[in-house]
Order: sequence, then C-alpha cells, then structure tokens
Amino acid sequence: MGPEATNMGDWAAAMQKAQADLLRQWTEMGSAWTRATGSPAMPGVQPAATPGVAEPAADDVARRFLSQCEQYLGVSRSLWDLVGRASSSSDAEQRARVFTDGLGGLQQQFANLWVATPFGAPGAGAGAMGTNPFAFGAGSVPGFGVPGMAMPGFGAPIPGMPALGPTRESQESMQRLAQLGARFAQAQMQVSGHWNDIIGKALRELGERLTPKLSSGTAPASMKEVYDLWVDSAETVYAQAARGTAFVQAQAELTNSMSQLRSAQRDLLEEWARQFDLPTRAELNSIHQQLRDLKAALQR
Amino acid sequence: MNVPPQEITGLQDKLARSLQSLQAAAGVTFGCSEKAAVYREDKLTLYRYRAIAPSANLPPVLIVYALVNRPYMMDLQPDRSLIRRLLELGLDVYLIDWGYPDGADRFVDLNDYINGYLHRCLSVVLREHNLPATTLLGVCQGGTFSLCYAALHPERVRNLITMVTPVDFQTPDNLLSRWVQSIDIEALVAAHGVVPGDVLNAAYVSLMPFRLLQQKYVNLLDGGDDQAQMDNFMRMEKWIFDSPDQAGAAFREFSNWFYKENRLLKGTLELGGRKVDLRQVTHPVLNIYGKQDHLVPPAASTAMQNLVGSSDYMALGLDVGHIGMYVSGRSQRELPQAIAYWLQRR
Repeated sequence: MGPEATNMGDWAAAMQKAQADLLRQWTEMGSAWTRATGSPAMPGVQPAATPGVAEPAADDVARRFLSQCEQYLGVSRSLWDLVGRASSSSDAEQRARVFTDGLGGLQQQFANLWVATPFGAPGAGAGAMGTNPFAFGAGSVPGFGVPGMAMPGFGAPIPGMPALGPTRESQESMQRLAQLGARFAQAQMQVSGHWNDIIGKALRELGERLTPKLSSGTAPASMKEVYDLWVDSAETVYAQAARGTAFVQAQAELTNSMSQLRSAQRDLLEEWARQFDLPTRAELNSIHQQLRDLKAALQR
Repeated sequence: MNVPPQEITGLQDKLARSLQSLQAAAGVTFGCSEKAAVYREDKLTLYRYRAIAPSANLPPVLIVYALVNRPYMMDLQPDRSLIRRLLELGLDVYLIDWGYPDGADRFVDLNDYINGYLHRCLSVVLREHNLPATTLLGVCQGGTFSLCYAALHPERVRNLITMVTPVDFQTPDNLLSRWVQSIDIEALVAAHGVVPGDVLNAAYVSLMPFRLLQQKYVNLLDGGDDQAQMDNFMRMEKWIFDSPDQAGAAFREFSNWFYKENRLLKGTLELGGRKVDLRQVTHPVLNIYGKQDHLVPPAASTAMQNLVGSSDYMALGLDVGHIGMYVSGRSQRELPQAIAYWLQRR
C-alpha cells in the first residue's frame, strides 16, 4: 500500500469518526432536549411556540447547525474524494477527465439533499432545500395529507365515476380533493425536476472552475475551500435558473396548487364541523367582519 | 493528492467549541435603549425612546418599520443600534411596533395601516410636541408606507427619510418580484387567512438557498472561539426568523397593487378612496439605499427621484446589503451622522 493510499485511509477513518461524532452530538442534543422539555427533539419539528414571542431558540439553531455540518461533511467528502482521485494522476488531461467524469456520479446524491419538500412538512425546514417559499402547510392537517382520504360521515369517492345519491355533494368534495392532491403531487415532481437540473448544472459549473486548477496541479488546499467553491457554483447556477420562466412557472404551480388543496381541505373540515354544530372559520370571519364594520362606524 | 485528515479531526474540535458557544449564546437579549410605550391600539405599540444626550432641537423622528420583520433590528445591541446613535446625536425618536397580527386581523388592510394606525401614531407625536408636522423615517416596507402617507397627508410631514424602500417593484434584478408575478395571491390568502411569517422567511432564504440555508451555518465552525461573534450571529438568527404573520387583506393588497401592478410607480394607487399622488411629496426627502441590496435593489429605491414633487431630494447609497444597512459597521458609522446632518440643514 503506497503513501497515497495510506493518506486516503487516514482520511476515510477521520471522516468516519467525524460522522460518528456528529451522530453522537445529535443524540446528546436530543437527550438534552427531551430532558428539558419532555418532548423528543426532531430535526425540523419545532417546540410549541408562545404566541407573540420571538421563538427560534439556541437549540433550534444548534440543530440546524449540526444538520448543515452533516450535509457539509457529506458534500465535502464526496467532492474531496473526487478531487483526490483526479489528482492522483500525473497527466493533466487525465486529471481533468477523471474529475469531470466523476462529477456525473454525484448528481443523484446531491439532488437528494435538495428535494422539493413542501415547507412545513415533517423533515422539511432545517436541512431541506429546494423548498417552495410560498407553498406552506400542505399535509399539515392530520389525516388530510393524503389526497382522497375519506372523513367520517362522507362516502369515499370512486375515481372517474360521477357522484350520485344523497351524499353526492360530499363525494364531489372528496373527488375535488383527490384531483387537487394529484395536481399538487405533479407540481412537486416538476419542481424536483428543476432542482435536479440545477444540481447537475451546478456540478458542471464546479467542474469548470476546478478543472483548470487540477490541470495545472494547483488543487484546493482544504475541504472547506472545495465546499465554498461548490456553494459559489450552485448559487451562480441557481440565480440564473430561478429567474427562468420554466422554474418560475413550476414554483408558482406548486404554490397555487398547494393553496387550492389547503382551501379544499379546510372546506371539508368546515363541513364536518357544521355537522357537529362546532364553530367554523367562516363563522369567525363573519364575526370579525362585523366587528371591523362596527369599529369603522365608531371612528367616523 | 495530499489529503488533510487534520482538517477533519480539527473539525471535531471546532464543532465542539461552536456548539458550546451556541449554547452560551442562547440567552442573548435584544434592545439596548430605554423606551416607554406612549400609545397602544390593537396589536400596535408606539414607543418613545428616552433621551441620552442634550437635545439637538430638531423635530422628533417617527420610525415606521415594515410589517414583515420585527423593529428591534433598529436597536439590536449597543454597538449595532441606529436608534442609539440617533439618540446620542440628540434626536427625539419614536418607533411604531406593529406587533404580531393573528387571526382576528385578517381583514386589516393597507388603508387601516397607513390612514389608520400610522395616522393616529403621528397624531400622538404631533400632539405631544405641539407641532403641525414632523419627520417620518420609513424603513423598507415602512418606507413605502411613509411615502404613501406623505403623499396623502403632506401637511403633517416635515421631512421624509426612507431607508431601503422599494418604489419600483418590478426592476429586472428583483427576483422576489419575478416570483410573485405568477403566484395566485388571492388563493394564497384564501388558504391561510393570515399569511404565516414562515412563508415570507422561506421566500427570502430561497433567494440564495445554498448560502442562507447551509453555508451560513457551516461557517459557524470558524466562530466557536469568538463568543461575541456567536452572540451576534444568534441575535441576527432570531431576528431573521422572528417574522410576524401578515394580515391577509394587507398582504393581498401589497402583493397585488405594489408587486404585481406596480401602482405606486404608475401613479394608479388609491388608498381610502384617495389617489396616492407622489407629486404631493414636496417635502425634503432623504432616500437611503444599499448598493448591495438583493431584496430591494438600488434601482427599486432610486426610482423615487423621478416621481416625487420635492425639489429637495437627496439619494444616499451605502455600500451595504439590506441587512447590512441596519447592522454593518459602515452603516453604524456613516448613517446616523448623515441623517442628523441632513436634518440640521432643513
């Protein structure tokens, strides 16, 4: 085994230790959080907030920090491995080719880190990127995240069949919910596709920036340097893509379908609440509107 | 290839130190200047800051902050406080804190904010000082509100200062605006009633997601030994994600009228049944913008010059970004003096 391999072995062992230590930090933090609050700490899951109080706590930031360090290690390790493989060749062209070819293999791994997760969904938030900024809260209603899921008192819809009988309106509501759910899922897939493209282009951009260095034998001195170059590359590509009509339209469709889905979910909940003579959003809105009119009349 | 295991093993030390510093930063506090509530209405509070220097004998300054973030950014900590610097220069400072809207505020609209809340806050200030008019200092969206107010009630404004204030909402470099054009705002507001602050946060960080959602935290690894730096980070982090929910009606109007229809620029904006004619803004105007601002690009702010009726218009561009305008060292050094100097000469 040559010195190069030994170095790589040292490095891999150090990397494994780093990731193990990260896991330990996660676990310790989770235990500490459970002791402090009585509730389990989950990445992306917030403790109950006190209304009107600035809430993001150090624990939350620490979780976000650890999560990003974990991603940092993953991303940097992959890139550094590749840089290492490419640099081991004495031929400049060969170095460039090994690096460029290797970048293609990273696409899926990197794309998985930046998936189109609806904001507010479990697992989104701290580490998830590629989230739609305006699409918030789909699936946050228990039991309603699954399109077409039947509620008590409603007949389950039969796909493709017209609604019939005394529960016709309820069936139509459920069918509409199913359609909106499908539309939302389709929009998610479209946005994910754009993120895949962005990651692929970002890796190529990184290649274009790093290859000349590798060819000339001036490889990056540190993992952090490679990582920062990756972020620069990704932001450059993203800035261009995010302005593109296709991305803008896909993102808007995700948001708009989410809004429609959420409203349809609420309509169903309201219908359910009415059946039990419980107050509804519509009823509260009506009261708020009356109060507002009264206040305006008083101020005149 | 010389691989650096020491960078990895060193990372463990950095990680441990950074986590320790983060935990120590958990108790960071905001605000350093003493203030008293002088008016309250619904969720709103009007504060007056206690003087800490001899008066400069200038009309009081009413700071009108944005709805989308909390105003304590103006008085974050002793060495990062525009308000404190203004107080040190002898200015009398008031601040509108819009509070945290909730479900009961879903029908509060822009007319309520500008011709209602802002108008009544200004009345309190003018009454207290027995003045017919005073200085408005509007920040970001609050600057847009102040500009509208000055156009609608010119007799009650003596000087107008705007900071990082959008006027042209459709400049080509405005990515946020580009996105908003295709969003069905009606559906968004209908779905939420009161639009969660997290929606806005997500939009802001999505402008530069790799930096703002990941690299920013990775960079903390290098800050573990500097507790003051970690405290600063924690304050900023709390502020950034402390975003009030948005009253649905006001959000819908602001998104549609300003972002989608660019009514302020086109001169087609109406509030409370009255046209907002920026030619009525004949007051001295100081328009402060960030040359590196990606949220309110410089061109979005400087468009004001050709719209207002003032013959005493001055634009001041600082080489900072949107957030840097509030907290950067350069801004802390240059901005308060510039404001005080400008006011003294009017």
